Amino acid sequence: MSTASTDKNLAHLADFHDEVPLVKGNLKFHDITEIVSSHTEKKTPFAWYGAFSLALAGLMLLLGMIAYLFWNGTGVWGLNNPVGWGYAIVNFVFWVGIGHAGTLISAILFLFRQQWRTAINRSAEAMTIFAVICALVFPTIHVGRVWAIYWTLPLPNQMGMWPQFKSPLLWDVFAVSTYFTVSLVFWYIGLVPDLATMRDRAKGKIRRLVLGVASMGWTGANRHWRNYEKAYLLLAALATPLVLSVHSVVSFDFAVSIVPGWHTTIFPPYFVAGAIFSGFAMVVTLLVIARKIYGIENIITVEHLEKMNIIILLTGTMVGFAYITEFFIAWYSGVQYEQYAFVNRMFGPYAWAYWTMMSCNLFFPQFFWFKKLRRNVTFMFIISIFVNIGMWFERFVITVTSLHRDYLPSSWDYYTPTAVDALTFVGTFGLFFTLFLLFLRFMPMVAIAEVKGVMPEADPHFYDHEGDGHHAEHAVEPSTQQ
Amino acid sequence: MIELPVLDDSPEQGEHPRNRFWRSISHLEGSQEFSEMNAGEFLPGASNGPATEGNGGATRRQFIQLMGASMAMAGLTACRKPIETIVPYVRQPEDRVEGVPVQYATSMPFRGTLRPLLVESFDGRPTKVEGNSDHPDSSGATHLFEQASILSLYDPDRLGTVRHDGAVSDWNAFRAAVSELPTSSRVVVIAEPTSSMTMAVVRRQMEQRFASVRWVDYHGAVGNSAAQGIRAAFGRSARVNHDLGAARVIVSLDADLFASTGPDPVAASAGFSAGRDPESMHGMNRLYVVESGYSITGGMADHRQRMKSSEIASFAAALASELGVWDGNAGVHGSHAWISEVAADLRNAGSSALVVAGDNQPAGVHALVAAINDRLGAVGTTVTYLDNNESAADASAELEAAIADMAAGNVDVVLTLNSNPVYEIPGFGDAFAKVEHRVHLGMYLDETATKATWVVPQTHYLEAWGDGTSRSGVPGVVQPLIAPLYADAHSEIEMVGLFATGTDMPGYEMVRATWRAQLGNSFETAWQKVVHDGFAEGSGFGSARMSLSTSGVRSAMEGIDLAGADGVEVVISADQKVYDGRFANNAWLQELPDPTTKVVWDNVAQMNPATAEKLGVGAKLDAGNYFADVVSLEVSGNSVSLPVWIQPGMADDSVHVTLGYGRNIVSEREERSTNFFDLDDYTDVYGKGAISGGVGVNVAPLTTSGRIAPVSVSKVDEGYLVASTQDHGAIDALHVGEEVKSRGLFRTATIEEYRANPDFVKGGEPAPLKEDWEDYPPLWEANHPKNSEEMVSSNYHDNQWGMVIDLNTCTGCNACVVACQAENNIQVVGKEEVSRGREMHWLRLDRYFVSGDGASYEDPQMVIQPMPCQHCENAPCEQVCPVAATVHSPDGTNQMIYNRCIGTRYCANNCPFKVRRFNFFNWTKTLPESLHMASNPNVTVRSRGVMEKCSFCIQRIRGANKVANVENRALEDGEVVTACQQVCPANAITFGDLSNPDSAVSRRRESDRRYELLAELNVKPRVSYLGRVRNPNPNLA
Repeated sequence: MSTASTDKNLAHLADFHDEVPLVKGNLKFHDITEIVSSHTEKKTPFAWYGAFSLALAGLMLLLGMIAYLFWNGTGVWGLNNPVGWGYAIVNFVFWVGIGHAGTLISAILFLFRQQWRTAINRSAEAMTIFAVICALVFPTIHVGRVWAIYWTLPLPNQMGMWPQFKSPLLWDVFAVSTYFTVSLVFWYIGLVPDLATMRDRAKGKIRRLVLGVASMGWTGANRHWRNYEKAYLLLAALATPLVLSVHSVVSFDFAVSIVPGWHTTIFPPYFVAGAIFSGFAMVVTLLVIARKIYGIENIITVEHLEKMNIIILLTGTMVGFAYITEFFIAWYSGVQYEQYAFVNRMFGPYAWAYWTMMSCNLFFPQFFWFKKLRRNVTFMFIISIFVNIGMWFERFVITVTSLHRDYLPSSWDYYTPTAVDALTFVGTFGLFFTLFLLFLRFMPMVAIAEVKGVMPEADPHFYDHEGDGHHAEHAVEPSTQQ
Repeated sequence: MIELPVLDDSPEQGEHPRNRFWRSISHLEGSQEFSEMNAGEFLPGASNGPATEGNGGATRRQFIQLMGASMAMAGLTACRKPIETIVPYVRQPEDRVEGVPVQYATSMPFRGTLRPLLVESFDGRPTKVEGNSDHPDSSGATHLFEQASILSLYDPDRLGTVRHDGAVSDWNAFRAAVSELPTSSRVVVIAEPTSSMTMAVVRRQMEQRFASVRWVDYHGAVGNSAAQGIRAAFGRSARVNHDLGAARVIVSLDADLFASTGPDPVAASAGFSAGRDPESMHGMNRLYVVESGYSITGGMADHRQRMKSSEIASFAAALASELGVWDGNAGVHGSHAWISEVAADLRNAGSSALVVAGDNQPAGVHALVAAINDRLGAVGTTVTYLDNNESAADASAELEAAIADMAAGNVDVVLTLNSNPVYEIPGFGDAFAKVEHRVHLGMYLDETATKATWVVPQTHYLEAWGDGTSRSGVPGVVQPLIAPLYADAHSEIEMVGLFATGTDMPGYEMVRATWRAQLGNSFETAWQKVVHDGFAEGSGFGSARMSLSTSGVRSAMEGIDLAGADGVEVVISADQKVYDGRFANNAWLQELPDPTTKVVWDNVAQMNPATAEKLGVGAKLDAGNYFADVVSLEVSGNSVSLPVWIQPGMADDSVHVTLGYGRNIVSEREERSTNFFDLDDYTDVYGKGAISGGVGVNVAPLTTSGRIAPVSVSKVDEGYLVASTQDHGAIDALHVGEEVKSRGLFRTATIEEYRANPDFVKGGEPAPLKEDWEDYPPLWEANHPKNSEEMVSSNYHDNQWGMVIDLNTCTGCNACVVACQAENNIQVVGKEEVSRGREMHWLRLDRYFVSGDGASYEDPQMVIQPMPCQHCENAPCEQVCPVAATVHSPDGTNQMIYNRCIGTRYCANNCPFKVRRFNFFNWTKTLPESLHMASNPNVTVRSRGVMEKCSFCIQRIRGANKVANVENRALEDGEVVTACQQVCPANAITFGDLSNPDSAVSRRRESDRRYELLAELNVKPRVSYLGRVRNPNPNLA
């Protein structure tokens, strides 16, 4: 077998799939399995413990702050009369927004046959689920009487008392819980083949048992694959409208009200674009670190990151366009309350928050027009942090600046968050990273089966002229064989 | 009767007889008691005849006495019901239904007169005060002190026991001490002036008992320059009453006519508002105000001139000179542009003109004003002088002499009644200490009490009998509604009675004795009627014969510098919330926003922006709060430090401060301190000692040179947090004023504009409202609950409640805010929480400054807009609540279902009027027990985490519904009165049934001045406003 003919074959396949191979470093199927699985099988590194205890401390902080809040009342936050929603709702929308990228990557990009998604979808979906968990904390704890929160659920009761279905908050309850459920199921279905791979490699009895149950008897049979693919496609089709609906519904919390600055029909698309924007930024933030530490730079390549940066650039510009459109409409509508609300955003007491948002969301992502910059890992990390900050401020600007000065000037006031507000927010990062670190430690962080599916070897004719693929030279020494 | 010897219980022989049956151990032992008890057929006493004189019972005479006494006591149904009752009535007394409140007539002594009241009592517990509309001097309205006085009754810091030299003692010991006082004692009494007839009687008795009694009528809050002025002008004293209702042209010289501190702000507001109807064929009255501060009266003015208080005398002189009652030099304002026009206006009005001078103005100005009114022919119409038999003695001179006597050691006993001279009079404490027996009667262990040898707790006026005369001299009684909460507490007349006789003098007996002399024959019947009505009908002071003495006026004006001095003046007045400090421990009043500055829990040095700039001081607005510079004000060597407050529209070089703060009341309650994780100590407003503790600064040391004095101001500190309920007052007043105008919130016109264009309020609509509401049906119109079967078929649906607020008569006096607080159990949250924007008032008064239209930024107009829940028909709050905790009632009110509310605060966000209030903490958890008694049992006390707001006093609506339902009839117009409407002295609030075209509210809604706020939002408020019309003098541009 001449190398020339292999090269020719590979070149042909590369043409067929993509200009640039999605997996680098000349990795073979088994290498992928090795690289991804080994991180769940090896001895826990010391650094992981360090990171995990930090995250756990954050989680404890969150629980402490929640206990303090429940004991004393909503007054421990900085809310006041005109500003009835502050950090809690800002953080809720922030986390829900972050929770957008995962399902978008796995469902929408799947339907659009964007094969580069395979490298990042697993961790992005995990991020989604954890972010939605963080988000769900806030609507629960922000109510004044948390012990009665279940009244928002349509539970039959002897009073015949139902929730008020006209309230966008109730729509939120359904939208976010549906999104969470579907995302979780989707994630789990995608995990099954990989869990089976890990089960087959498992050494310990308990590990084998747990993975055996979790992989639900997956054998990799043709029938399994057929069912799996069908289920995955159906779930992707189901999840796709949810990606759009959940943040549209979240935006209704604002858009359906009559508060100037909230009552805006542009909100649903603008919130969805913003959510994708912030979600991708968070994926970049997390994966830039994870791929380095876990040595999976050949699987999650700079090309992957670049593609995400292009999406950040696109959605960031869309969001910026929405900001400008809002201003135009405020002026064009001739509604003075609306006009005042937007002028007040730019030049009022919260101008600092507004300009932080504008620069982080509209200005900084524009650097990604330059190919060099969007392929620079350090640079993109910094930009992604800026975007995360900017998108948090976007929600802050929308929520707080609109409320603090609305119709009657007599009720105008200023909202100052308290330490409890800030520490609760910090605490949710503890919750998020606790879950994310557990995921990195115990779950395959890359969808092994799916990545294999987009490699040249997945072509049915790849082995026509070669062996069975298991005896080729390995680029990476299998760690488990040491 | 046949005895059946079934069991032989005769004592048997032997120690252990067989077959011995016994009923108890005493039976077995054969004890004496048992045999005695067993001897008779019935239990002891059961078979005895009635006790008679012969066998140790009551004599016939005693029996009659006891029965008489019980009959008399039965008449005191107002008193607390016996606490021993632990079973329900077997036969319920005819006049009592448990849980249904009863109203009793009584009166509140204030500023030397009685204010006639009806007080609501729930099962013996007074909870709410209203005016006694049967009384000739009452319209049924009240002012804020009457409203708030209920809370003072239950003040947890009230003194409960007699104190002797700082230690707890009791009344008996005190009585013994007083009865042992030698009759040769030289006594000084410092008492607030009172109209009590009984007091006059016992005072005479006391004066007879002791060798010398010097009685000083001292009223620190208002001073006595007005009385001095009257004496100077007429050579005699009289009570002055002003009738603003009869006045067409009113000139106020530094007089805050409508403020709570005035002599009768209720009558003043009612009279003034009666003349403010622009639709009236008589036209509107006209109010000129010349003042240094910015008062609510100034806000009502058609023309307002800001002028230093020390120069107003010159203005008065110029006016007097123009009217021909003053021939001296008028000084600095001698040729003021206003003089000729104002004088002409006054002259045209003739007997319908009225000039009033403020309490702070010196006696000379009051004398001049008396002369002007006399010249205008106003006496008898707008000004009446009543013969109240007041002593002609000059109280200030008396006080000075008394203090000198005390300091010289020539006084043996000093008795302070209802006054706090150690706090109010600089230097009094030293003279006080030189007296051997210092007796203080007061409600608190305060400044004077801690310096006294004997302190006796004083009863609240709702706890003790008393009497007095109202504004026009109608005699009335003060009827208690509850037995004193503290057994040691005694009233003023009881105290003086003890001094007069050396024995206990029950107040009830004393008052009855006084009235017996007055009512004459068939006393009991007449007395019952007086107690029932609260006053004696058909009596009152006669008008006093007054003849003006020009020389008297001239001599009173002597010593008043009319030239006008450069430099800064300080003006010291009684506070509109805590008065002279007597209400400083009243949390409702401390948290009440000042009517013009909106500052709570502090007294401040008010000055206008130009003065502040000149003095190099100011207040920084940071994160929604004002952090003010602290200035030291120094008057003849005495200085106090106060935070600065920048108030637009004040006179240049004038600094205003108020009395009554910086109290030092000793609280016997323990300070609350909780663990770090528990904020109960933070949320407990009452947990840090007395309410008044640490609030503001006592400015009394500045009063040594009178109420208006030159002052030197220097900055001593900065960054003092001043809590105000309205965020943007001074700093961008202009900017806010423009927003208010362009948003059409407050619509005004002059009377000429109104006549030319009666629909002027429509021109005030903000731009977007080009189409009718009907063109934009709301999203849920089709299935709006108001059309649902349940709603339409409800009995309540027959009434559709609505309210109209007349901005033309509302003065912004704050009475409604306190009335609402008292009626609806609204909690107090403290200074820090107010500064965080968490005050709970259901009804707020929005104050805006308006410049433009002839008013400059330096001299803006001020407008006040009451803001209750607007009860929108298409309520934005209802549509966003996820649990349907705020819903519409069949009678068209927006209701808050507290126990359904989970506290998402979405409704508050979506309320365009921001009238919803959230319970950020549990404000009632830490409330002292006595304050629970002040709560209205018909209104739910809200827990933490729920939203609350104005309910249109739904409890009153339902109460009236109940009565009408029992009587099987429809509700009549005027049957339901909201708390704010009932209290409003200016009749600015009309409430009623909109579905009844003849109701007062329906008729008022037909006014062409009517508009709804933010109508363009299509929320359809049920509260309408009537635009303000001013009546400026066309000749005075």
